Amino acid sequence: MQNAKDSLYMALRTRLTTINPQRTILLRGTVRPGILVEEAEAPFNQLPNDVFVLRWLGLAIDLDLASTMAAEECEIVYQSCGTQSCGGLDRGRSLSKMDEELLAMIQPFFTPKLDYTATPPAAMLTQVFWDEPQLGPVVVQRDQLSRSAKVMVYSYQEQGE
Amino acid sequence: MAANWFSAPAPVARRVRGYFAPVNRATQTPVLFDPAEQGGFSLDAPPAPWIDLGWIQGFARKPASKTSLVLAGIPAGTLEQVRETLEAQVNFEFLSWTKLTMALATGSQHMNLLAPASGAAPAADGAQAAPAVTPQSGSTATFVALAATDAATFSAGSIIAVDVDYTGQTGFVGSPVAGAYVRQALTDVDYIRRVTFNVGLVSQLNSTGLTLAEPLPGGAPAAAAKLQAVTGFVDREGGSFYQEWSALFVIQGSQGERIFFHYPRLQARAGAEETAVPLDSKHQEGQARVLLKGQFLALPVIDPLDGEHVLCYRSFLPAPMALV
Repeated sequence: MQNAKDSLYMALRTRLTTINPQRTILLRGTVRPGILVEEAEAPFNQLPNDVFVLRWLGLAIDLDLASTMAAEECEIVYQSCGTQSCGGLDRGRSLSKMDEELLAMIQPFFTPKLDYTATPPAAMLTQVFWDEPQLGPVVVQRDQLSRSAKVMVYSYQEQGE
Repeated sequence: MAANWFSAPAPVARRVRGYFAPVNRATQTPVLFDPAEQGGFSLDAPPAPWIDLGWIQGFARKPASKTSLVLAGIPAGTLEQVRETLEAQVNFEFLSWTKLTMALATGSQHMNLLAPASGAAPAADGAQAAPAVTPQSGSTATFVALAATDAATFSAGSIIAVDVDYTGQTGFVGSPVAGAYVRQALTDVDYIRRVTFNVGLVSQLNSTGLTLAEPLPGGAPAAAAKLQAVTGFVDREGGSFYQEWSALFVIQGSQGERIFFHYPRLQARAGAEETAVPLDSKHQEGQARVLLKGQFLALPVIDPLDGEHVLCYRSFLPAPMALV
């Protein structure tokens, strides 16, 4: 499933750079697109604002098929306090902007599966695919608005996986 | 060495896309789809003359052919089966209301409500229409050149119908799609523009003519064509005309595989019907989306390959590198 997880993240990251190239994060001294995988970074005391954070949850396997199918739930968490220049009064607009970017990033609902342990990444035979996101309610915490979207991600296990 | 193939399970798909193409009613010629030659087309840009009707919902095929048994012996045992009748049905719901989806989902002819003449007496399928205007030379499928006084009678957002005057002919009328069958001569000079599928939306205009949001289905206006403003559409429960179209349904699987269902001849088999689907499943009495329900009967064609009578072709293009 790791190849599928990597492929989803890289697909969303690539799409985000086209949708909103200004959404970036300075992480470990490098400016990167504003999307990261929580389990692949040092633990956060508090999630960064204005960035998409991917968190992997449950896993299910269907062994009765010609190729084993794995399904893993991905939670995409994002939050915003708005901008300083507006005194945070635009936090609702900022979160709506992130909602729009998420919906644009998630389509199309598939991407080729690549093995990112190889250099350059090696194309595999199948595609990773997923459902429409299940958007959760806005959570208000003082001046911060956050939302979580859950996506079920599917992939077929190939030989060697 | 890693295998360069995989065993593909049953296709996984989210939805079905529909495409229709007009059957030439006068020559009884359906439009054929060749999956070997055309199967890789972009779903957003089907090969001509197929018209994209977008995603559809509740697509269900129902084979209704009947077979009977040839019995022999005592006690009788089945010697063989014979196909007694040939029938297949297709049902689904359109996710949009357009001229074409309304027409397909109605059991009879579908008409344009022409903008009425001033003071015309009301009529159920549109009053006497305001006079038609004549396109000028230089018109194309997306631009209708008009005299400045004629152009001023339209506005951005107008819907137009473009076709020839009715001059007493009988048989199938309307171009590029037969919109009706006239059994006896009528008196309405605008009748063909009432039933034509050659309609478009005016996106902008100036003193030289109208720019359309999408090309006219029939291309540049024909020499004798005229145009009139359309205020909406109307169809009737009843009548004797049956729409007939060639249909193509595509299911794209998660691994790039494709399933095609090609019906060369499809006719509506029921009157117009709608389905209301609540937008919020927890609020059944609240806002609901009204979907056009399409119920179709497949008619046979003779396959020139071997002379067999056929209602539908189902094709499958496997995923790349999938075992077959």
